[in-house]
Amino acid sequence: MTGFRAEPAKPTSSNEYEHLAHLFDEFAALDPNDPRRAELRDRLVTGHLPLAEHIAQRFSGRGVAKEDLVQVATVGLINAVDRYDPGRGSDFLSFAVPTVMGEVRRHFRDTGWLVRVPRRLKELHLSISAANTELAQRLNRAPTPSEIAAHLGVSQDAVFEGLEAGNAYHSMSLDEVLSGDTENLALGDTLGEEDAALEGVENHEALLPLIRDLPERERKILGLRFVHNMTQTQIAERIGVSQMHVSRLLARTLERLREGLTEQDEGTSSS
Amino acid sequence: MVRKQYSNYGEVNVTEWEPPPLHAHNDIELWLGADLVHLPIVRSVVATIATRADFDLDAIADLRLAVDEACSTLITRAIPGSKMRCRFTAADDELRFVGTVRSDSDSTPSTKSFGWRVLTTLTDVVDARVSTDGHQGHRVDIELAKRRALLDVPGAGA
Repeated sequence: MTGFRAEPAKPTSSNEYEHLAHLFDEFAALDPNDPRRAELRDRLVTGHLPLAEHIAQRFSGRGVAKEDLVQVATVGLINAVDRYDPGRGSDFLSFAVPTVMGEVRRHFRDTGWLVRVPRRLKELHLSISAANTELAQRLNRAPTPSEIAAHLGVSQDAVFEGLEAGNAYHSMSLDEVLSGDTENLALGDTLGEEDAALEGVENHEALLPLIRDLPERERKILGLRFVHNMTQTQIAERIGVSQMHVSRLLARTLERLREGLTEQDEGTSSS
Repeated sequence: MVRKQYSNYGEVNVTEWEPPPLHAHNDIELWLGADLVHLPIVRSVVATIATRADFDLDAIADLRLAVDEACSTLITRAIPGSKMRCRFTAADDELRFVGTVRSDSDSTPSTKSFGWRVLTTLTDVVDARVSTDGHQGHRVDIELAKRRALLDVPGAGA
């Protein structure tokens, strides 16, 4: 706000909504047909809108338009206002935050596919992903499609279909939302170690700055695969994401490096 | 436009490259314009072949990345407007890929590049060849092979 009025600084903590708290008691006590209910509901939803915007903001940059996220979060907020029961003792915010976040997550789950994939295939893909993780632990290596088929009790063709559906999966989607915290990565290996291992590579001078620019998790996965020679399944276990997600991240990272190197080549040859 | 003078190359090459005969059961061959926009198609084809041959999921993912890398290398060397040939051979113990383009340059793809490191990490055999066979330009091949991991499947010896 460019505030030409001398307003006090906008509070950002939960007391921003304190003045609305008493409305919930009144709202809950009213008869469902009381016209005053609709008015209170409006005030409660509008008053808490910044909360929906704040949550939408946290999920932005993941391939879904900000306005769509705000809209979805607002639907979540309306549901929260309708379902909240002040008699239970917890305050509205601790009820509303998970409700609104749940609505946004569901939106990613349902629409975060680049190509519209039938729900049956999405579910199949998710169970293949789970079977993959479970079998990899048991076998100590990545399973084959026929092993996954036997494990799930479905045909091999169904597994092929499910794997293909996964390729239509938006690469910035559900996995990203559910495992997006890079902070909790244990980054034991230092960047210096990876730099040294790449020294024999002729274009390493051009490569290193590109690698340094990668997000921490992508850089880590790249190092584990191409310097430490770990399999995708081992990397998945180490990083705490699915093998399929490691695969997508690696594909994206290699593409990015290739583009970076090509641009530099073009830059030097034209000068 | 430079592009235009090459526009008939691919068609001429189709008849003159004399690719090895296709083995009906194992071989799949794909001809595409040597253009990066086609990469997703080649990736999908190798993944589908590897999946149907029941390679493990790590191997399938590695093949996808390796073929992507090999084809990008080939396409960036190819004569603009020419074609790329991709040959896939699924045998009992390995999946083999050979990508071929015509190039103006006779330099072999470097084995010291990061791209080469990517290919050797992802597959078991990597080979790049440049030959001059009297036709226009030079022929560049990149060959990859990924062996099937030895699985301790119960009853596999039967």
